[in-house]
Amino acid sequence: MDYLVAVLLPQLLHGLVFGAALGLLALGLTVIFGLLGVMNFAHGELYMLGAYAGIAVVGVTHSFWTALIVAPLAVGAIGAVTEVVTLRPLYRREPLYGLILTFGLALVFREAVRQIWGGDMRRIQPPVTGSTPLLGMVYPNYRLFLLAASSILLLAIWLFFTKTRAGILVRAAVQDAEMLDGLGVNVPRVFTLTFAGSAALAALAGLLLAPIFTVYPQMGVEMILLAFIVVILGGMGSMGGSVVAALVIGLAQSLLTLWMNPQRVAIAIFALMIVVLIVRPRGFFGREGVLE
Amino acid sequence: MSRVLSWRAVVVGLLVALLPALPFMSKFYLLLAFDALLFGAIAMSLDLLIGYTGLVSFGHAAFFGLGAYSTAILLERGVLSLWACLVAAVLVVGLYALVVSYFATARRGIYFALLTLIFAEVVYTFSRYTQTFGGSDGIQGVPAPRLMPAFAIDTPLRNYYVVLAYLALAYLVCRVLVASHFGKVLVAIRENEDRARFLGYNVQRYKMAVCLISALLTGIGGALYPGRSAFATPDLMLWTVSGEFIIMVMIGGLGTLAGPVIGGAFFVLLQEKVSSYVDWYFMVIGLVLIVIVLFMPRGLLGIRAMLGFKQWRATA
Repeated sequence: MDYLVAVLLPQLLHGLVFGAALGLLALGLTVIFGLLGVMNFAHGELYMLGAYAGIAVVGVTHSFWTALIVAPLAVGAIGAVTEVVTLRPLYRREPLYGLILTFGLALVFREAVRQIWGGDMRRIQPPVTGSTPLLGMVYPNYRLFLLAASSILLLAIWLFFTKTRAGILVRAAVQDAEMLDGLGVNVPRVFTLTFAGSAALAALAGLLLAPIFTVYPQMGVEMILLAFIVVILGGMGSMGGSVVAALVIGLAQSLLTLWMNPQRVAIAIFALMIVVLIVRPRGFFGREGVLE
Repeated sequence: MSRVLSWRAVVVGLLVALLPALPFMSKFYLLLAFDALLFGAIAMSLDLLIGYTGLVSFGHAAFFGLGAYSTAILLERGVLSLWACLVAAVLVVGLYALVVSYFATARRGIYFALLTLIFAEVVYTFSRYTQTFGGSDGIQGVPAPRLMPAFAIDTPLRNYYVVLAYLALAYLVCRVLVASHFGKVLVAIRENEDRARFLGYNVQRYKMAVCLISALLTGIGGALYPGRSAFATPDLMLWTVSGEFIIMVMIGGLGTLAGPVIGGAFFVLLQEKVSSYVDWYFMVIGLVLIVIVLFMPRGLLGIRAMLGFKQWRATA
């Protein structure tokens, strides 16, 4: 019982917190993949940009809350411009070119950040300090806030995709962009706005996680691999699947650290993905024959 | 001979062989030329997959790194024969490539790219945290391999000719392969996989075979690397290195074999030139890649076609 409260429960919560934030990141990735057929290798850099934009805003306004609003908007704008300038000319070409292009974008973003802010590790002070007694243990307030914020965001995204016209248009574009175009919808604009939204989500995840992780130019490189695994596990292009898979990965990672050292955990996560792909190639919720 | 190997290739090869005779070819430039040829050859073997078969491997750094590690481990333990190192590299890389290609070729498109990436990341993580193989420092300061018991490949000049021989052989293998029936089937798979399957070809077996060949050529290149650098580190296998290999292929021109050789050499020289002036060369590389994808999808070799009013179509 002591073990349960002192070790297992905090680790379980850690996993949930991380999984929910990872879900925000993976969701943007999977929507873009469904829409453009492009696995966005620059997504990790958008996540990193979010944290750095946050640092910049906090530096000026000394308010994490302002940063939480301004940083995703700024990164979303960067995403929109990037999409219009570089990805739009590639719509009619094979997805391979988009994939390679985003790899180039990632290099540019990473290097730009290193030039502006330097390569050092940085930290952001959590806006909420202290901890709360919870189920017989004490848990940091910021992580609770992170869990609540991610959950509310995920819920809001779900409502957006199911209840609003804009969200339904995005889903329609994922299903059949040509048909949507035929119905008179400005599809390139849907693409651009979705890309901007996914960039903003990645930035938000980056900034939300910044107070519990460190911020450095390479931070997106490791994160994006995890996000790829989540997207594959959830089933390419399945939004619900991505969220479930993100929670599974988050929990698996934090629970496995109880018994293994971190590098074994990394290998175990890779192995989990490989096994799932062999047993169930479509991932948890992927539809048959989609995007293969 | 003329169908497989053009006279132009032979002449270029001889000129490259005479390169060290130039007066300004110091040790430094010889080593730079070594890198240019080595990565040119690796980009060329990756082109078999990307350009000819339409499979984007994001895990070639693992083949390269495993080859380098095989050599470095043997050299460190006193096995100095280059041939033994090559055999070891072929065995290790071949075994690993067999496993990867079996699982990766079962899936198409993006899945193939991501599966090769994840497998490579397993190898990277493993090498990085295994203390027997030096952990994150890798294996440093290994002795030079020997071609024959009394002939060590210990000067930049000797290394240069070894890598040139490797490039020439690899080029020959790739040319023969591409011109053969096997090569035609690969292109058929790239153009329309379902139709190739309906024609009765066992598509997965063809894909596995080309993966294996490409991986082995890359692994042999990796096996030559410690002879030049005297080390093998986990960073050779970082997934961004795989991305750099793809950039080399793209710069040169997909599906041309000669293009990626030029692309690899160009990449190495650009890196050297730019990084000696400014420290943001990755920005330059990224921008070059973006410009090439957007405006010259056929790479440097495509410039010929653009100037020469040939039909200009993006092939991939």
